[in-house]
Parts: sequence; structure tokens; C-alpha cells
Amino acid sequence: MRIVLIGFGNLGRGLSRALVQKAGFLRRDHGLIPRVVAAVDEFGAVVDEKGLNLAGLLKTAEGKGTVALHRGAKRGRLALQVIEGIEADVVYELTPTNIETGEPGLTHIKRAMQAGRHVITSNKGPLVVAFRELDSLAKRCGVEFRYSASVGGAIPAVGLAKKLLAGNKIREIRGVLNGTTNYILTRMSTEGAPFEIVLREAQELGIAEKDPTLDIEGIDTACKITILANSLLGTNAGLKDVKVAGIARVRPEAIRLAQEAGQTIKLVGTAKRGSLEVGPKLVPLGHPLAVGGTLNAVTFELDLAREISITGFGAGPRETSSSLLGDLIDIHRTLGG
Amino acid sequence: MELEDVPGELLKALEPISRFGGNIQSIMHQRERKTPLGRVPVMLIFEIGDRARLNRVLAALRARGVRVTQLGEREGAVRVTALLIGHIIHTDIRDTIDRLNALRGVRVSDLSLAMGEPGQESAARMTITADDERRVNSAISNLQRIASRKKLLMITSIGAG
Repeated sequence: MRIVLIGFGNLGRGLSRALVQKAGFLRRDHGLIPRVVAAVDEFGAVVDEKGLNLAGLLKTAEGKGTVALHRGAKRGRLALQVIEGIEADVVYELTPTNIETGEPGLTHIKRAMQAGRHVITSNKGPLVVAFRELDSLAKRCGVEFRYSASVGGAIPAVGLAKKLLAGNKIREIRGVLNGTTNYILTRMSTEGAPFEIVLREAQELGIAEKDPTLDIEGIDTACKITILANSLLGTNAGLKDVKVAGIARVRPEAIRLAQEAGQTIKLVGTAKRGSLEVGPKLVPLGHPLAVGGTLNAVTFELDLAREISITGFGAGPRETSSSLLGDLIDIHRTLGG
Repeated sequence: MELEDVPGELLKALEPISRFGGNIQSIMHQRERKTPLGRVPVMLIFEIGDRARLNRVLAALRARGVRVTQLGEREGAVRVTALLIGHIIHTDIRDTIDRLNALRGVRVSDLSLAMGEPGQESAARMTITADDERRVNSAISNLQRIASRKKLLMITSIGAG
């Protein structure tokens, strides 16, 4: 399979490392020989139709911060040129998320589909802005479209629901989908420390971003719950349809009161047909959603199976490469490989 | 019930409840309202599976010399817990409770307050008991409206409301 990587930041590099490490396994166990024919970031592109040496490329990207400084690279904004001009089977769209316009990922995905490439993405922006459009464009173009890594990092929430739980009607989806806020709430509950102090600690540890607004105001969770609703409940929702409350007002005393009643406070996204919501919720201690630290968790309420929950790491390049690679193998199988 | 004001009395009264599988919801120990005989009035709310077990609890209490002065029962009551964060006292918590208690078949059965530092917001945990699911949901949506009017953040249980 010929692969194009658009975006070579943490996730692109994590995926590349997994492809290097697992080359033998993929060939032996899945009959899959991935060949990365191009890698592109915002500064330039490297192309080799015979397949790039990923180990060498990783060294350059990690040392110099961009693929544009690799031997033989071209400089400039070359994503669209590569997507349309380089023969490939699969395009990975791994550029940073923009939740207002979905760009540049949205255009990358559309052009890739129109050029007949299957698309795998981790990018929430295009999925929040134009899920239905992309879903039907993929069908019209006769290409596969996968986005497991956009929700819950390593947790195979979309695949679990779409494939293994396919015989159920999903009544409700609930998720702890943001590692940063979950870390903050967990530390507030174990240390009794106020929000501002724990947030600062999380920033020092690199768990929270310098501008943590999207996380703590619940917007990141709202994006993910929108994607789950659109892909699993068949809705056509955007961010504006989600009722959102963040965690900035949650005080350690409130968590203590919750604990005295056998509960804890989690930032939970909830999706039902007709209502999408994000906000702090009381979760019984011991409930599958009461996960600690940066963990994520998703619970499906189903007509036959009743309740199914999964937990796992919601972020991290290595963990997320599990989803990105899983999608590739899934497409390979769907195509009869 | 009324208990002697000596150490160990409350424990003596609680033990039969847990022995017969009851689940204690709240204890109000009103030491400042002693009876003329110097006993302490205690109000207990607990949940128990059926009438036979309730009778066994009552018999055990009697055998231990615990005076049960009043007994109320409610079948199939539904409880829900909510947290409120904000200026709870300044926005008149009494009024919030009165409004809920004014709903038919609904009462605020427990309240815990944690005061914030001066100038900071406080937190309260409220348990609402209602006769049935429908009434509890209406209480929750009422509280939701009150909370948003009083600019309180309301946190409910997953799956509630």
C-alpha cells in the first residue's frame, strides 16, 4: 500500500515509528506492506515513489523540527500538490485541528477523496465542521474513510460501536474524552487542591497546553461527542448544537461532597438523538467512567447488550498510533487484502 | 427515636438496621433539642427491602431499649443527588429548598454545605427524594431552572434528568 502522510508532527511521527517497528509483523500477519511515498508538513515535502526511509526521516524531523530539511526535500506548502500529484492508495491527514473552519485538513481530505485516495484522519476539525459532507463524498468517490484516532486516542470507540456492536441500537453514548481535564479533576480529588494550582501543575508537566481554554471549557470534549453522534447516531450536528459547560467552577470542596456520597466529578460528554451535552457530572466511584489521571473512557447504552464500556489512553503519539494503524489494516482488509 | 445521651447509644440504634440489610440515608442527631428527660431526638432515614425486615429491625430496636417515637414509611421512593456550586448562601438556599419542597411528592431529604474561602464560591450537595421517577425528574428540571436564575453551576448524576 502506498501511503502519503500529510502532517508530520507528534502523530505523524508516532505512526511512522510504529510502521518501522511493525514492518515484519504487518507483512507476516496481515499481508500488508505499507510504503510511505511522501511525507509533508507545513514547511515542505519529501517524496520517494519507491518508499521513504522512515527511520532516516524521523531522525531529521526530530533533530530539525521539519521534513523540509531532509535530504532531497522540497520547501513550501506542498500538501495539495502531493495529494493530487503523487500516486497513492491512502492519505493520512494528521495536521493540527481547527474547529472553526476545519482547514487545512478539510480541503486536504476532500481533494484526497476526489483523487480516489482512501483517507485516514485524526483531525477533529474537518469532522466537526463537515462530517456528513465528507461521509457522502467518500461514498460518491468510492473510497474508504476512517477517523478512529479523532476520538479517544487509542480507544477504538468508533470501530467497536460500528462493527462489533453492529446488532444493537445505540441509545446513548457517554464519554470522559479529555485527558487534561480528567487529570485536573483527579488531582483536585486526591489532593484537595484548587483548580488554578492543579492547572498550573498540569501545564508544567505538559499535560495541559499553555492556552488550555479548549480543554477546560469542554469544547474539545464537545468536538468528540459531536463526532461520535454524527458517526454512530446518524445525526448531522455541529459544535453549536452541543450544550457545553466546562470545569473551571468545579471546586475541591464540591468533589469532597461528591465523594462523601460515594461519587466523583468527571467532565462527561453525552450524546443522545436530539441532545448533545458536555458538562461536569456526578459519577459513582467504581463506575467504568470513573477513570483516573489522563485516562479516557466511553460507555455505550445499547438495546441488546445494555451497557458496554471501554477505557484507555486518550492521547500520546504511540498510543494513538494504535488507532491510526488499526484503520490502515481495516482498510486493507475491507479491500480484500 | 429518642436516645440516652451517653456514648455508644447511636451505634446501638444503627446496628440492627445494617444487620438486616438496611441502607442508612441520613441521620439527624439533634443534641441541642434534648427532651425534658434528657434524651436526644434522632431522625433516621433508611431504605430496606421489605416489610418483614423492617419489622425485624423494629423488634431488635425495642429489644435494645431504643425508644421509637415516630415511624413513617414511604414505598418505592426515588432519590437523586445534585451538587450546586456558586454563591449558595447569598442566593438564599432556604428559598431554593422551599421551592423544591413545594412540589407535590418531592422533598429535599439531605443537604451538605461546604463554604468557600471568603469571596469564593461555595458548594452544596442536595439529596432530593420523590414518590416516583416522574416527580424526581420534574424536581431536577425545577432545580435546574432555579440554579440558572441564581447563576449556580448544577452538577447532576450521569443518566439523571
